Amino acid sequence: MAIKIIKNGIADTIQDIGRYGYQHLGIQANGYLDYQSASLANTILGNPRNSPVFEIHFPASSFCFTRNYTICISGANFVPVLNEKSIALHTPIEVKQNDTLQFLKPIEGRISYIAIQGKINEEPWLSSHSFFANSIQKDDQFEWEASSTISKKMVLGNENSINPIINEIHSHVFSTSPLHFIPGPVWKDLTHESQKAFLSTGYHIGMQANRMGYPLKGAVLQLSKPNQYLSAAVTRGTLQLLPNGELMVLMADHQTIGGYANLGQIILVDLPRLAQASHQTSFHFLETTIETAHKLYQQIEKKFIHRS
Amino acid sequence: MKTNFEDMNWRLELLGDHALVFSLEEKMSEEIIEKIMALKKNIEAFNFDFIKELIPSYHTLSLVYDINLFYENEIASKNNQSIIECGNAMLTAFNSAAVNIELANATEKNSSTAIEKIIRIPVCYDERFGIDLENIVSKNKISVDEIIKIHTEETYLVYCLGFLPGFAYMGKVNAAIQIARHASPRKEVMAGSVGIAGMQTGIYPMNSPGGWQIIGRTPLKIFDKTPTILGKLEAGNRIQFYPISFSEFEKLNEYK
Repeated sequence: MAIKIIKNGIADTIQDIGRYGYQHLGIQANGYLDYQSASLANTILGNPRNSPVFEIHFPASSFCFTRNYTICISGANFVPVLNEKSIALHTPIEVKQNDTLQFLKPIEGRISYIAIQGKINEEPWLSSHSFFANSIQKDDQFEWEASSTISKKMVLGNENSINPIINEIHSHVFSTSPLHFIPGPVWKDLTHESQKAFLSTGYHIGMQANRMGYPLKGAVLQLSKPNQYLSAAVTRGTLQLLPNGELMVLMADHQTIGGYANLGQIILVDLPRLAQASHQTSFHFLETTIETAHKLYQQIEKKFIHRS
Repeated sequence: MKTNFEDMNWRLELLGDHALVFSLEEKMSEEIIEKIMALKKNIEAFNFDFIKELIPSYHTLSLVYDINLFYENEIASKNNQSIIECGNAMLTAFNSAAVNIELANATEKNSSTAIEKIIRIPVCYDERFGIDLENIVSKNKISVDEIIKIHTEETYLVYCLGFLPGFAYMGKVNAAIQIARHASPRKEVMAGSVGIAGMQTGIYPMNSPGGWQIIGRTPLKIFDKTPTILGKLEAGNRIQFYPISFSEFEKLNEYK
Protein backbone atom coordinates (compact mmCIF):
# COMPACT_ATOMS: atom_id res chain seq x y z
CA MET A 1 0.00 0.00 0.00
CA ALA A 2 2.69 2.48 -0.83
CA ILE A 3 4.52 4.68 -3.23
CA LYS A 4 8.23 4.08 -3.20
CA ILE A 5 11.04 6.42 -4.22
CA ILE A 6 13.51 4.53 -6.39
CA LYS A 7 15.64 7.57 -7.22
CA ASN A 8 15.53 10.90 -5.45
CA GLY A 9 15.51 14.28 -7.13
CA ILE A 10 17.18 17.38 -5.72
CA ALA A 11 14.41 19.20 -3.92
CA ASP A 12 11.25 17.10 -4.09
CA THR A 13 8.73 17.20 -1.27
CA ILE A 14 5.15 16.51 -0.35
CA GLN A 15 3.12 19.69 -0.04
CA ASP A 16 -0.42 20.69 0.80
CA ILE A 17 -1.90 24.17 1.33
CA GLY A 18 0.56 24.74 4.19
CA ARG A 19 0.97 24.93 7.92
CA TYR A 20 -0.70 28.02 9.30
CA GLY A 21 -0.92 29.27 12.86
CA TYR A 22 2.69 28.72 13.95
CA GLN A 23 4.64 31.58 12.41
CA HIS A 24 4.71 33.36 15.79
CA LEU A 25 6.98 30.48 16.85
CA GLY A 26 9.19 31.03 13.84
CA ILE A 27 7.74 28.02 12.02
CA GLN A 28 7.38 28.72 8.31
CA ALA A 29 4.05 28.05 6.59
CA ASN A 30 5.46 25.92 3.72
CA GLY A 31 2.85 24.70 1.22
CA TYR A 32 2.55 24.51 -2.58
CA LEU A 33 4.71 26.90 -4.61
CA ASP A 34 2.01 26.83 -7.31
CA TYR A 35 -1.33 26.28 -5.60
CA GLN A 36 -3.20 26.55 -8.89
CA SER A 37 -1.50 23.62 -10.61
CA ALA A 38 -1.67 21.53 -7.43
CA SER A 39 -5.40 22.30 -7.10
CA LEU A 40 -5.88 21.36 -10.72
CA ALA A 41 -4.26 17.93 -10.29
CA ASN A 42 -6.31 17.22 -7.17
CA THR A 43 -9.53 18.50 -8.68
CA ILE A 44 -9.14 16.41 -11.83
CA LEU A 45 -9.00 13.33 -9.58
CA GLY A 46 -11.91 14.42 -7.41
CA ASN A 47 -9.65 14.87 -4.37
CA PRO A 48 -10.26 17.77 -1.99
CA ARG A 49 -8.45 20.72 -3.58
CA ASN A 50 -5.87 21.20 -0.86
CA SER A 51 -4.83 17.55 -0.54
CA PRO A 52 -1.15 16.65 -0.27
CA VAL A 53 0.65 16.03 -3.56
CA PHE A 54 4.21 15.34 -4.62
CA GLU A 55 5.94 18.57 -5.59
CA ILE A 56 8.65 17.76 -8.10
CA HIS A 57 11.54 19.82 -9.42
CA PHE A 58 13.96 18.81 -12.15
CA PRO A 59 16.04 16.60 -11.94
CA ALA A 60 13.08 14.72 -10.52
CA SER A 61 12.55 11.69 -8.31
CA SER A 62 11.45 8.36 -9.80
CA PHE A 63 8.53 6.50 -8.27
CA CYS A 64 7.43 2.90 -8.03
CA PHE A 65 3.83 2.07 -7.14
CA THR A 66 3.35 -0.99 -4.98
CA ARG A 67 -0.36 -1.21 -5.79
CA ASN A 68 -2.89 0.20 -8.27
CA TYR A 69 -3.62 3.90 -8.10
CA THR A 70 -5.10 6.65 -10.22
CA ILE A 71 -2.76 9.61 -10.49
CA CYS A 72 -2.73 12.97 -12.24
CA ILE A 73 0.22 15.18 -13.11
CA SER A 74 -0.17 18.95 -13.52
CA GLY A 75 2.08 21.98 -13.51
CA ALA A 76 5.42 21.79 -15.26
CA ASN A 77 5.95 19.40 -18.15
CA PHE A 78 9.01 17.26 -17.37
CA VAL A 79 7.96 14.58 -19.90
CA PRO A 80 6.52 12.01 -17.49
CA VAL A 81 6.86 8.37 -18.56
CA LEU A 82 5.16 5.35 -17.04
CA ASN A 83 7.22 2.22 -17.65
CA GLU A 84 9.08 4.29 -20.21
CA LYS A 85 5.92 5.17 -22.13
CA SER A 86 4.92 8.79 -22.33
CA ILE A 87 1.82 9.84 -20.36
CA ALA A 88 -0.36 12.96 -20.58
CA LEU A 89 -0.60 15.83 -18.14
CA HIS A 90 -3.91 16.94 -16.59
CA THR A 91 -5.36 13.49 -17.15
CA PRO A 92 -6.26 10.70 -14.72
CA ILE A 93 -3.80 7.88 -15.32
CA GLU A 94 -4.29 4.36 -14.00
CA VAL A 95 -1.09 2.91 -12.63
CA LYS A 96 -0.63 -0.75 -11.75
CA GLN A 97 1.39 -2.48 -9.12
CA ASN A 98 5.14 -2.23 -9.85
CA ASP A 99 4.71 0.47 -12.50
CA THR A 100 7.48 3.05 -12.44
CA LEU A 101 7.10 6.76 -13.08
CA GLN A 102 10.01 8.88 -14.26
CA PHE A 103 10.49 12.38 -15.61
CA LEU A 104 12.81 12.78 -18.60
CA LYS A 105 13.40 16.45 -19.30
CA PRO A 106 12.09 19.89 -18.39
CA ILE A 107 10.13 21.29 -21.32
CA GLU A 108 7.94 23.87 -19.62
CA GLY A 109 7.84 25.18 -16.06
CA ARG A 110 9.77 24.51 -12.85
CA ILE A 111 7.43 22.52 -10.67
CA SER A 112 5.38 19.47 -11.46
CA TYR A 113 2.65 18.09 -9.17
CA ILE A 114 1.64 14.46 -8.84
CA ALA A 115 -1.73 13.97 -7.19
CA ILE A 116 -2.80 10.50 -6.08
CA GLN A 117 -6.50 9.70 -5.99
CA GLY A 118 -7.43 8.99 -2.37
CA LYS A 119 -5.86 9.94 0.89
CA ILE A 120 -2.34 10.08 2.25
CA ASN A 121 -1.92 7.70 5.15
CA GLU A 122 0.80 9.54 7.07
CA GLU A 123 0.62 11.52 10.30
CA PRO A 124 0.42 15.26 9.66
CA TRP A 125 2.64 17.57 11.71
CA LEU A 126 0.89 20.67 13.06
CA SER A 127 -2.09 19.83 10.86
CA SER A 128 -0.18 19.79 7.58
CA HIS A 129 1.55 17.19 5.45
CA SER A 130 3.87 19.78 3.93
CA PHE A 131 7.49 18.79 4.32
CA PHE A 132 9.37 20.87 6.83
CA ALA A 133 13.10 21.42 6.24
CA ASN A 134 13.63 18.13 4.41
CA SER A 135 13.13 16.52 1.03
CA ILE A 136 12.22 13.17 -0.44
CA GLN A 137 15.02 10.59 -0.24
CA LYS A 138 15.71 7.38 -2.11
CA ASP A 139 13.89 4.38 -0.58
CA ASP A 140 11.33 6.58 1.18
CA GLN A 141 7.88 5.02 1.15
CA PHE A 142 4.63 6.91 1.41
CA GLU A 143 1.42 5.21 2.38
CA TRP A 144 -1.51 6.27 0.26
CA GLU A 145 -5.00 4.88 0.56
CA ALA A 146 -6.58 4.68 -2.85
CA SER A 147 -10.13 5.86 -2.71
CA SER A 148 -12.81 3.51 -3.94
CA THR A 149 -15.66 5.85 -3.12
CA ILE A 150 -14.82 8.55 -5.63
CA SER A 151 -17.11 8.24 -8.60
CA LYS A 152 -15.85 8.63 -12.12
CA LYS A 153 -18.23 11.58 -12.48
CA MET A 154 -16.11 13.62 -10.13
CA VAL A 155 -13.23 13.32 -12.50
CA LEU A 156 -12.89 16.42 -14.61
CA GLY A 157 -10.78 15.44 -17.53
CA ASN A 158 -10.89 12.47 -19.81
CA GLU A 159 -9.06 11.48 -22.94
CA ASN A 160 -11.62 12.90 -25.33
CA SER A 161 -12.46 16.24 -23.86
CA ILE A 162 -10.21 18.65 -22.14
CA ASN A 163 -12.20 20.61 -19.69
CA PRO A 164 -11.91 24.38 -20.25
CA ILE A 165 -10.64 24.87 -16.69
CA ILE A 166 -7.45 23.03 -17.57
CA ASN A 167 -6.68 25.43 -20.39
CA GLU A 168 -7.67 28.44 -18.34
CA ILE A 169 -5.47 27.53 -15.39
CA HIS A 170 -2.63 26.45 -17.61
CA SER A 171 -2.69 29.66 -19.62
CA HIS A 172 -2.92 31.73 -16.45
CA VAL A 173 0.12 30.02 -14.92
CA PHE A 174 2.25 29.70 -18.04
CA SER A 175 2.05 33.20 -19.42
CA THR A 176 4.22 36.27 -19.33
CA SER A 177 1.47 38.60 -18.12
CA PRO A 178 2.65 41.26 -15.69
CA LEU A 179 3.02 40.41 -12.02
CA HIS A 180 0.65 42.58 -9.99
CA PHE A 181 1.97 43.96 -6.73
CA ILE A 182 0.67 46.13 -3.90
CA PRO A 183 3.29 48.67 -2.75
CA GLY A 184 4.75 48.10 0.71
CA PRO A 185 6.17 50.34 3.43
CA VAL A 186 9.46 51.15 1.67
CA TRP A 187 8.09 51.74 -1.85
CA LYS A 188 7.85 55.49 -1.22
CA ASP A 189 11.51 55.56 -0.11
CA LEU A 190 12.76 54.42 -3.53
CA THR A 191 14.29 57.16 -5.65
CA HIS A 192 11.99 58.41 -8.38
CA GLU A 193 14.29 56.85 -11.00
CA SER A 194 14.20 53.50 -9.20
CA GLN A 195 10.40 53.49 -9.02
CA LYS A 196 10.33 54.20 -12.74
CA ALA A 197 12.91 51.54 -13.51
CA PHE A 198 11.05 48.95 -11.47
CA LEU A 199 7.79 49.65 -13.28
CA SER A 200 9.21 49.90 -16.78
CA THR A 201 11.95 47.30 -17.14
CA GLY A 202 11.73 43.54 -17.30
CA TYR A 203 12.90 41.19 -14.54
CA HIS A 204 13.80 37.55 -14.72
CA ILE A 205 14.51 34.89 -12.12
CA GLY A 206 18.15 34.56 -11.09
CA MET A 207 20.01 31.37 -10.25
CA GLN A 208 19.58 29.86 -6.78
CA ALA A 209 15.83 30.23 -6.82
CA ASN A 210 14.43 27.84 -4.24
CA ARG A 211 11.37 27.29 -2.07
CA MET A 212 12.49 30.04 0.33
CA GLY A 213 12.91 32.78 -2.24
CA TYR A 214 13.43 33.69 -5.86
CA PRO A 215 16.12 36.28 -6.62
CA LEU A 216 15.19 38.65 -9.46
CA LYS A 217 17.60 40.08 -12.01
CA GLY A 218 16.89 43.40 -13.67
CA ALA A 219 17.29 47.08 -12.90
CA VAL A 220 19.19 47.62 -9.65
CA LEU A 221 17.21 49.87 -7.30
CA GLN A 222 18.18 52.56 -4.84
CA LEU A 223 16.57 54.09 -1.78
CA SER A 224 16.55 57.86 -1.49
CA LYS A 225 17.53 57.44 2.16
CA PRO A 226 19.31 54.19 2.96
CA ASN A 227 17.96 52.77 6.17
CA GLN A 228 18.21 49.94 8.65
CA TYR A 229 14.95 48.22 9.48
CA LEU A 230 13.91 46.24 12.51
CA SER A 231 12.76 42.78 11.48
CA ALA A 232 9.07 42.96 10.69
CA ALA A 233 6.23 41.15 9.04
CA VAL A 234 6.71 39.59 5.61
CA THR A 235 4.48 37.28 3.58
CA ARG A 236 4.62 34.99 0.64
CA GLY A 237 5.21 37.32 -2.31
CA THR A 238 7.12 40.01 -0.37
CA LEU A 239 9.56 41.89 -2.62
CA GLN A 240 12.66 42.49 -0.54
CA LEU A 241 15.24 45.01 -1.64
CA LEU A 242 18.63 43.63 -0.63
CA PRO A 243 21.51 45.94 0.39
CA ASN A 244 23.15 45.43 -3.03
CA GLY A 245 20.09 46.83 -4.83
CA GLU A 246 18.83 43.45 -6.05
CA LEU A 247 15.43 41.98 -5.38
CA MET A 248 14.31 38.79 -3.67
CA VAL A 249 10.74 37.49 -3.76
CA LEU A 250 9.81 35.46 -0.69
CA MET A 251 8.24 32.12 -1.56
CA ALA A 252 6.52 29.28 0.33
CA ASP A 253 9.33 28.46 2.81
CA HIS A 254 10.13 32.09 3.63
CA GLN A 255 11.25 33.16 7.09
CA THR A 256 8.47 34.38 9.32
CA ILE A 257 9.88 37.90 9.78
CA GLY A 258 12.44 39.80 7.74
CA GLY A 259 14.72 42.79 8.12
CA TYR A 260 15.22 43.86 4.52
CA ALA A 261 13.43 46.78 2.89
CA ASN A 262 9.89 45.73 1.94
CA LEU A 263 9.00 47.24 -1.45
CA GLY A 264 5.68 45.48 -1.76
CA GLN A 265 4.01 42.13 -2.19
CA ILE A 266 3.17 40.27 -5.37
CA ILE A 267 -0.48 39.27 -5.17
CA LEU A 268 -1.34 35.63 -4.38
CA VAL A 269 -2.99 34.84 -7.68
CA ASP A 270 0.15 35.77 -9.64
CA LEU A 271 2.66 33.82 -7.52
CA PRO A 272 2.18 30.51 -9.37
CA ARG A 273 3.18 32.29 -12.58
CA LEU A 274 6.41 33.51 -11.01
CA ALA A 275 6.98 30.13 -9.35
CA GLN A 276 6.86 28.33 -12.72
CA ALA A 277 8.82 30.82 -14.84
CA SER A 278 12.10 29.90 -16.52
CA HIS A 279 15.28 31.92 -16.20
CA GLN A 280 14.65 33.32 -19.67
CA THR A 281 11.14 34.62 -18.97
CA SER A 282 11.02 38.37 -18.57
CA PHE A 283 8.31 39.83 -16.35
CA HIS A 284 6.99 43.33 -15.90
CA PHE A 285 5.49 44.58 -12.67
CA LEU A 286 2.15 46.33 -12.47
CA GLU A 287 0.95 48.23 -9.42
CA THR A 288 -2.51 47.21 -8.30
CA THR A 289 -5.04 47.66 -5.51
CA ILE A 290 -6.39 45.25 -2.95
CA GLU A 291 -9.81 45.36 -4.64
CA THR A 292 -8.35 44.22 -7.97
CA ALA A 293 -6.15 41.64 -6.24
CA HIS A 294 -9.12 40.07 -4.49
CA LYS A 295 -11.20 40.14 -7.67
CA LEU A 296 -8.46 38.37 -9.64
CA TYR A 297 -8.02 35.85 -6.83
CA GLN A 298 -11.71 35.05 -6.75
CA GLN A 299 -11.89 34.65 -10.52
CA ILE A 300 -9.50 31.73 -10.24
CA GLU A 301 -11.25 30.41 -7.11
CA LYS A 302 -14.58 30.29 -8.98
CA LYS A 303 -13.12 27.87 -11.49
CA PHE A 304 -12.54 25.35 -8.73
CA ILE A 305 -15.75 25.85 -6.79
CA HIS A 306 -18.27 22.99 -6.92
CA ARG A 307 -15.62 20.84 -8.47
CA SER A 308 -13.89 19.95 -5.24
CA MET B 1 3.74 51.49 35.83
CA LYS B 2 1.76 53.98 33.81
CA THR B 3 0.61 52.91 30.44
CA ASN B 4 -1.29 55.23 28.24
CA PHE B 5 -2.71 53.34 25.31
CA GLU B 6 -4.09 56.46 23.72
CA ASP B 7 -0.60 57.82 23.35
CA MET B 8 0.19 54.87 21.18
CA ASN B 9 -0.14 55.75 17.55
CA TRP B 10 -1.15 52.60 15.77
CA ARG B 11 -0.75 52.45 12.05
CA LEU B 12 -2.64 49.95 9.94
CA GLU B 13 -1.41 49.02 6.48
CA LEU B 14 -1.96 46.38 3.86
CA LEU B 15 0.75 43.78 3.57
CA GLY B 16 -0.16 42.63 0.09
CA ASP B 17 -3.52 41.01 -0.64
CA HIS B 18 -3.69 38.50 2.21
CA ALA B 19 -2.20 40.21 5.26
CA LEU B 20 -2.51 43.38 7.31
CA VAL B 21 0.10 44.90 9.53
CA PHE B 22 -0.56 46.87 12.70
CA SER B 23 2.50 48.85 13.70
CA LEU B 24 3.85 51.20 16.34
CA GLU B 25 7.00 53.29 16.39
CA GLU B 26 9.91 51.36 14.90
CA LYS B 27 12.07 50.68 17.91
CA MET B 28 13.05 47.91 20.29
CA SER B 29 11.12 48.71 23.44
CA GLU B 30 9.52 46.64 26.17
CA GLU B 31 6.52 48.91 26.26
CA ILE B 32 5.94 48.51 22.53
CA ILE B 33 6.19 44.71 22.55
CA GLU B 34 3.73 44.64 25.48
CA LYS B 35 1.22 46.57 23.39
CA ILE B 36 1.82 44.35 20.39
CA MET B 37 1.16 41.25 22.51
CA ALA B 38 -1.92 42.85 24.11
CA LEU B 39 -3.37 43.61 20.65
CA LYS B 40 -2.62 40.04 19.58
CA LYS B 41 -4.54 38.66 22.56
CA ASN B 42 -7.41 41.02 21.93
CA ILE B 43 -7.75 40.01 18.27
CA GLU B 44 -7.43 36.32 19.12
CA ALA B 45 -10.46 36.67 21.37
CA PHE B 46 -12.64 37.48 18.32
CA ASN B 47 -12.01 33.97 17.06
CA PHE B 48 -12.45 35.01 13.45
CA ASP B 49 -12.22 32.00 11.18
CA PHE B 50 -10.54 33.99 8.41
CA ILE B 51 -7.50 34.85 10.53
CA LYS B 52 -4.75 32.34 9.74
CA GLU B 53 -1.87 33.88 11.66
CA LEU B 54 -1.07 36.68 14.11
CA ILE B 55 2.68 37.20 13.99
CA PRO B 56 4.35 39.64 16.37
CA SER B 57 7.69 41.30 15.80
CA TYR B 58 9.41 44.20 17.60
CA HIS B 59 6.91 46.86 16.57
CA THR B 60 4.47 45.09 14.27
CA LEU B 61 1.68 42.57 14.43
CA SER B 62 0.82 40.99 11.12
CA LEU B 63 -2.50 39.37 10.51
CA VAL B 64 -2.57 36.80 7.72
CA TYR B 65 -6.07 36.07 6.45
CA ASP B 66 -7.82 33.72 4.08
CA ILE B 67 -9.39 35.76 1.29
CA ASN B 68 -12.26 33.30 0.68
CA LEU B 69 -13.15 32.97 4.35
CA PHE B 70 -13.03 36.72 4.84
CA TYR B 71 -15.71 37.30 2.21
CA GLU B 72 -17.74 34.39 3.56
CA ASN B 73 -17.58 35.77 7.12
CA GLU B 74 -21.00 36.98 8.21
CA ILE B 75 -19.88 39.83 10.43
CA ALA B 76 -17.52 41.23 7.86
CA SER B 77 -19.90 40.87 4.93
CA LYS B 78 -22.97 42.08 6.83
CA ASN B 79 -21.22 45.36 7.53
CA ASN B 80 -19.92 45.30 3.98
CA GLN B 81 -16.45 45.81 5.30
CA SER B 82 -13.19 45.78 3.47
CA ILE B 83 -10.31 44.07 5.22
CA ILE B 84 -8.86 47.47 6.15
CA GLU B 85 -12.14 48.58 7.70
CA CYS B 86 -12.23 45.31 9.55
CA GLY B 87 -8.70 45.92 10.84
CA ASN B 88 -9.64 49.41 11.93
CA ALA B 89 -12.64 48.03 13.81
CA MET B 90 -10.28 45.65 15.62
CA LEU B 91 -8.06 48.57 16.62
CA THR B 92 -11.03 50.58 17.85
CA ALA B 93 -12.22 47.64 19.92
CA PHE B 94 -8.73 47.21 21.30
CA ASN B 95 -8.33 50.87 22.19
CA SER B 96 -11.62 51.02 24.06
CA ALA B 97 -10.83 47.77 25.87
CA ALA B 98 -7.42 49.18 26.76
CA VAL B 99 -8.96 52.35 28.18
CA ASN B 100 -11.26 50.22 30.33
CA ILE B 101 -8.35 48.21 31.64
CA GLU B 102 -6.53 51.39 32.46
CA LEU B 103 -9.51 52.84 34.33
CA ALA B 104 -9.82 49.62 36.29
CA ASN B 105 -6.14 49.75 37.13
CA ALA B 106 -6.34 53.39 38.15
CA THR B 107 -9.22 52.82 40.56
CA GLU B 108 -7.66 49.75 42.04
CA LYS B 109 -5.35 50.86 44.80
CA ASN B 110 -2.16 48.96 45.45
CA SER B 111 -2.49 47.23 42.13
CA SER B 112 0.28 44.70 42.39
CA THR B 113 1.94 43.72 39.19
CA ALA B 114 1.84 40.01 38.57
CA ILE B 115 5.16 38.31 39.08
CA GLU B 116 6.23 37.14 35.69
CA LYS B 117 7.56 33.65 35.37
CA ILE B 118 11.18 33.68 34.36
CA ILE B 119 12.40 30.83 32.19
CA ARG B 120 15.88 29.84 33.34
CA ILE B 121 18.24 28.43 30.73
CA PRO B 122 21.61 26.83 31.57
CA VAL B 123 24.56 27.87 29.43
CA CYS B 124 28.06 26.43 29.37
CA TYR B 125 30.46 29.28 28.60
CA ASP B 126 33.41 26.90 28.19
CA GLU B 127 35.82 28.02 25.46
CA ARG B 128 34.97 24.84 23.52
CA PHE B 129 31.50 26.32 23.00
CA GLY B 130 32.06 30.06 23.45
CA ILE B 131 34.11 30.32 20.30
CA ASP B 132 33.74 34.10 19.98
CA LEU B 133 34.31 35.04 23.64
CA GLU B 134 37.83 36.14 22.73
CA ASN B 135 36.44 38.66 20.21
CA ILE B 136 34.47 40.37 22.96
CA VAL B 137 37.43 40.20 25.33
CA SER B 138 39.68 42.00 22.87
CA LYS B 139 37.16 44.44 21.41
CA ASN B 140 35.39 45.40 24.63
CA LYS B 141 38.38 45.13 27.01
CA ILE B 142 36.57 42.85 29.40
CA SER B 143 37.37 39.47 30.95
CA VAL B 144 35.53 36.23 30.18
CA ASP B 145 34.34 36.04 33.79
CA GLU B 146 32.86 39.51 33.54
CA ILE B 147 31.13 38.65 30.27
CA ILE B 148 29.53 35.61 31.94
CA LYS B 149 28.53 37.63 34.98
CA ILE B 150 26.95 40.37 32.89
CA HIS B 151 25.23 37.99 30.47
CA THR B 152 23.68 35.96 33.30
CA GLU B 153 22.64 38.73 35.68
CA GLU B 154 20.14 40.35 33.33
CA THR B 155 16.72 38.99 32.46
CA TYR B 156 15.89 39.19 28.79
CA LEU B 157 12.60 39.80 27.08
CA VAL B 158 11.71 37.70 24.04
CA TYR B 159 10.78 40.32 21.44
CA CYS B 160 9.88 37.96 18.65
CA LEU B 161 10.73 34.67 16.97
CA GLY B 162 11.98 34.22 13.45
CA PHE B 163 15.01 33.49 11.28
CA LEU B 164 14.72 29.81 12.26
CA PRO B 165 11.90 27.86 13.91
CA GLY B 166 12.15 28.61 17.63
CA PHE B 167 14.83 31.28 17.23
CA ALA B 168 14.00 33.97 19.82
CA TYR B 169 15.32 37.50 19.51
CA MET B 170 16.01 38.58 23.09
CA GLY B 171 17.29 41.78 24.65
CA LYS B 172 18.59 44.03 25.69
CA VAL B 173 22.19 43.05 26.15
CA ASN B 174 24.29 45.23 28.46
CA ALA B 175 26.42 47.68 26.45
CA ALA B 176 29.61 46.29 28.03
CA ILE B 177 29.24 42.98 26.17
CA GLN B 178 27.53 44.16 22.97
CA ILE B 179 29.33 43.23 19.78
CA ALA B 180 28.37 43.45 16.11
CA ARG B 181 27.67 40.21 14.25
CA HIS B 182 30.40 38.69 12.07
CA ALA B 183 30.91 40.46 8.75
CA SER B 184 30.30 37.18 6.97
CA PRO B 185 28.27 34.43 8.63
CA ARG B 186 29.75 31.07 9.69
CA LYS B 187 28.79 28.15 7.49
CA GLU B 188 27.54 26.24 10.49
CA VAL B 189 26.66 27.24 14.03
CA MET B 190 25.80 24.29 16.27
CA ALA B 191 22.35 23.83 17.79
CA GLY B 192 22.15 25.25 21.31
CA SER B 193 24.76 27.93 20.62
CA VAL B 194 24.10 31.17 22.50
CA GLY B 195 25.11 34.32 20.67
CA ILE B 196 25.14 38.08 20.76
CA ALA B 197 24.39 40.49 17.92
CA GLY B 198 24.44 44.12 18.97
CA MET B 199 21.93 44.57 21.78
CA GLN B 200 20.32 41.19 21.08
CA THR B 201 21.03 37.72 22.39
CA GLY B 202 19.65 34.44 21.10
CA ILE B 203 19.97 30.67 20.93
CA TYR B 204 20.37 28.70 17.70
CA PRO B 205 17.65 26.04 17.86
CA MET B 206 19.33 23.88 15.20
CA ASN B 207 22.57 23.68 13.25
CA SER B 208 22.48 26.54 10.81
CA PRO B 209 24.62 29.12 9.06
CA GLY B 210 24.77 32.20 11.27
CA GLY B 211 26.57 35.44 11.96
CA TRP B 212 26.04 35.97 15.69
CA GLN B 213 29.05 36.02 18.05
CA ILE B 214 28.90 32.76 19.97
CA ILE B 215 29.60 32.92 23.71
CA GLY B 216 28.37 29.54 24.94
CA ARG B 217 25.98 26.66 24.46
CA THR B 218 22.87 25.42 26.22
CA PRO B 219 22.37 21.67 26.64
CA LEU B 220 18.59 22.18 26.37
CA LYS B 221 16.65 21.60 23.19
CA ILE B 222 15.06 24.88 22.15
CA PHE B 223 13.21 23.53 19.15
CA ASP B 224 11.97 20.10 18.26
CA LYS B 225 8.96 18.78 16.42
CA THR B 226 7.44 17.44 19.65
CA PRO B 227 4.66 19.67 20.97
CA THR B 228 6.22 20.09 24.44
CA ILE B 229 9.37 21.67 23.05
CA LEU B 230 7.72 23.39 20.10
CA GLY B 231 6.55 26.48 21.91
CA LYS B 232 9.25 26.68 24.57
CA LEU B 233 9.87 30.36 23.91
CA GLU B 234 7.28 32.90 22.83
CA ALA B 235 7.26 36.64 22.37
CA GLY B 236 6.67 38.33 25.72
CA ASN B 237 8.49 35.62 27.74
CA ARG B 238 11.27 36.56 30.14
CA ILE B 239 14.32 34.42 30.34
CA GLN B 240 17.51 34.34 32.34
CA PHE B 241 20.69 32.39 31.63
CA TYR B 242 22.72 30.67 34.34
CA PRO B 243 26.24 29.32 33.97
CA ILE B 244 27.05 25.60 34.12
CA SER B 245 30.31 23.69 33.86
CA PHE B 246 31.34 21.47 30.98
CA SER B 247 30.61 18.32 32.98
CA GLU B 248 27.15 19.61 33.92
CA PHE B 249 26.59 20.37 30.25
CA GLU B 250 27.40 16.80 29.36
CA LYS B 251 24.98 15.51 31.98
CA LEU B 252 22.14 17.74 30.78
CA ASN B 253 22.88 17.44 27.07
CA GLU B 254 19.61 16.84 25.17
CA TYR B 255 21.25 16.88 21.76
CA LYS B 256 22.92 13.47 22.13
